[in-house]
Amino acid sequence: MESKMQRRTLMRTAAALPLVSLLRPATARAEVKEIRMIEAGGKSGESIEKGYGDPFTAKTGIKLVRESPAPLGKLRAMVESGKITATLFELGSGTMVHAKSLGLIEKLDWAAINPNPMFPEARNEYGFGYQYYSTGMAWQKGTKPLRSWADFFNTKDFPGKRAIPDYVGSAVPFALLADGVPVDKLFPLDIDRALKKLLSIRKDISVVWKAGAQAPQLLNDGEVQYAIAWSGRIVEEPKLVFNFNGAMADLAFICMIKGSPKEEQAAAAKLYHEMSVAKNQARAAEVVAYTGPSPDLDALLPKDKLFMYPTAKVNKDVQWVQNAEYWAEHGEEGNKKWETFKLSL
Amino acid sequence: MAKPIAERRQGVGFITPLLVLMLAAFNLPILYMLTLGFWSKEGGFTFEHYAQLLDTPIYLRVLANTMRVSLVATLVNVAIGYPLAYWMRGLSPRAQFIAVSLVIVPFWISILVRTYAWIVVLGNNGMVNRLLLWSGMVDTPVSFLYNELGVMIGMANVLLPFLVLPLFAAMLRIDDRLMQAAASMGAPNHTIFLKVFLPLTLPALAAGTLLVFILCLGFYVTPAILGGGKVTMISNLLDILINQIPRWEQASAVSTLLLIVTLAIFAGYRALDRKVGT
Repeated sequence: MESKMQRRTLMRTAAALPLVSLLRPATARAEVKEIRMIEAGGKSGESIEKGYGDPFTAKTGIKLVRESPAPLGKLRAMVESGKITATLFELGSGTMVHAKSLGLIEKLDWAAINPNPMFPEARNEYGFGYQYYSTGMAWQKGTKPLRSWADFFNTKDFPGKRAIPDYVGSAVPFALLADGVPVDKLFPLDIDRALKKLLSIRKDISVVWKAGAQAPQLLNDGEVQYAIAWSGRIVEEPKLVFNFNGAMADLAFICMIKGSPKEEQAAAAKLYHEMSVAKNQARAAEVVAYTGPSPDLDALLPKDKLFMYPTAKVNKDVQWVQNAEYWAEHGEEGNKKWETFKLSL
Repeated sequence: MAKPIAERRQGVGFITPLLVLMLAAFNLPILYMLTLGFWSKEGGFTFEHYAQLLDTPIYLRVLANTMRVSLVATLVNVAIGYPLAYWMRGLSPRAQFIAVSLVIVPFWISILVRTYAWIVVLGNNGMVNRLLLWSGMVDTPVSFLYNELGVMIGMANVLLPFLVLPLFAAMLRIDDRLMQAAASMGAPNHTIFLKVFLPLTLPALAAGTLLVFILCLGFYVTPAILGGGKVTMISNLLDILINQIPRWEQASAVSTLLLIVTLAIFAGYRALDRKVGT
């Protein structure tokens, strides 16, 4: 998810790859001293270190070294060139399914991980769903509140500029909800119908944002009045409101890179176990308001902050879950339609 | 002018290391990326990615959009840059130094910082809009950003030095006595400018314009931020194809097309240059 936010040119990524491989000779070591993870960066990366890396290191003596960002292209470059410089890679749900079909990630050994209880959708054959995040509507306090997606698209009664994400999968489902499609009939998506609905408010779509930090900035500056945004970017902003009602819950996964050293994969299983511990997830949630997959987490979180978290009972029940399988299959076609749509904005 | 061949050969030894480095570290990887566009998934030679390029109108439309935005941004640059360089030529040496410094300073500031700075200046609550609202010139904020206008402003800001500096250097070399001679024969000011000054600056203007245009084609940050995501240029599309989807073969085909178009423009410029030169 946040991997998309931090953009680097291919040049820089490409320039960094040989350097990394120089620093880390490919000779196999009997004893694992560190494992490497390529993740989204920012606060989310810090939360991984504080929540899971630290207890993992304390128990095993193995260091967790982080690197960011984590675009799919980087994973493909790594696996196809055979220069594997890390063991773990963070991927969005749809991206994970896509990476699986490209043969870029390994199956997880769930028996070795032996996790504490977790929500079923987070326990995937190919990845550990470690972080829930929500995509929904947001506005500044004092703005006329929206109750539904129909309101977001009703620019007559709810005037003001809109900002939407520049990710087809995080924008078009909401247009269909606004157009009267019930949640359980959303998929397979009628992308054309959704884009038509979006075009109907074309004049009021001011910004199509790429970086997650843009949405709160635009709202705080009064540049737009309503935005579709990522929950963690909004809930801790004092002047802003996030509405979980009708929002889309999605999961970020930590996956194992195809061809990474077996002994490092074995060590990673212990890190995965730490990621399933509710107490650790509560510590990660202190850093960033995205939460882990433990059903027992609510009790460990501060009561006054429960409203912020995507998995809190009050929020989880009013959301629906992204369909990763659909996007893995239709992502490219969806992207083409999306780019065409943007040219007519 | 032609130097003896032996003397010309002597230089080759000195540049060989650089030549080898450029070939191995820069040209070969690019060549490899370009050949990717001809590989099929099964490993054989194919034109399928190019066929898709033509089948999917979006790629060509974005390329056309890129050309159009680049052309307008270049023209804006010329419209601002030429008078600026002309004005700088007439300044005292001390003032010229200050003016050149002011043109160069933005060069040293990160393009990201400069791009975001425009948000502070031109946003709905930005300095310019507040001034306009306060003075009563407008009732609602003017939308400078998150459209093509914003992209143009940002691009002009980044690229202006690339045009102004060579143009200014060329203008400094023009002998004042040429204009004086024209004046002494009774030519009015605008005739002196059009018939004497302008032709002498044309080669530098053409070279600078071409440089700016080609740089425009590769812009990524500015359209992404100041265009509000609504002004899609070819590099933004390539980013999606390379990092998000990732379809390097398609990206390679798009890049090859862009390279061909750029080279064609360059060839056109060379042909024109030679015609004017003779």
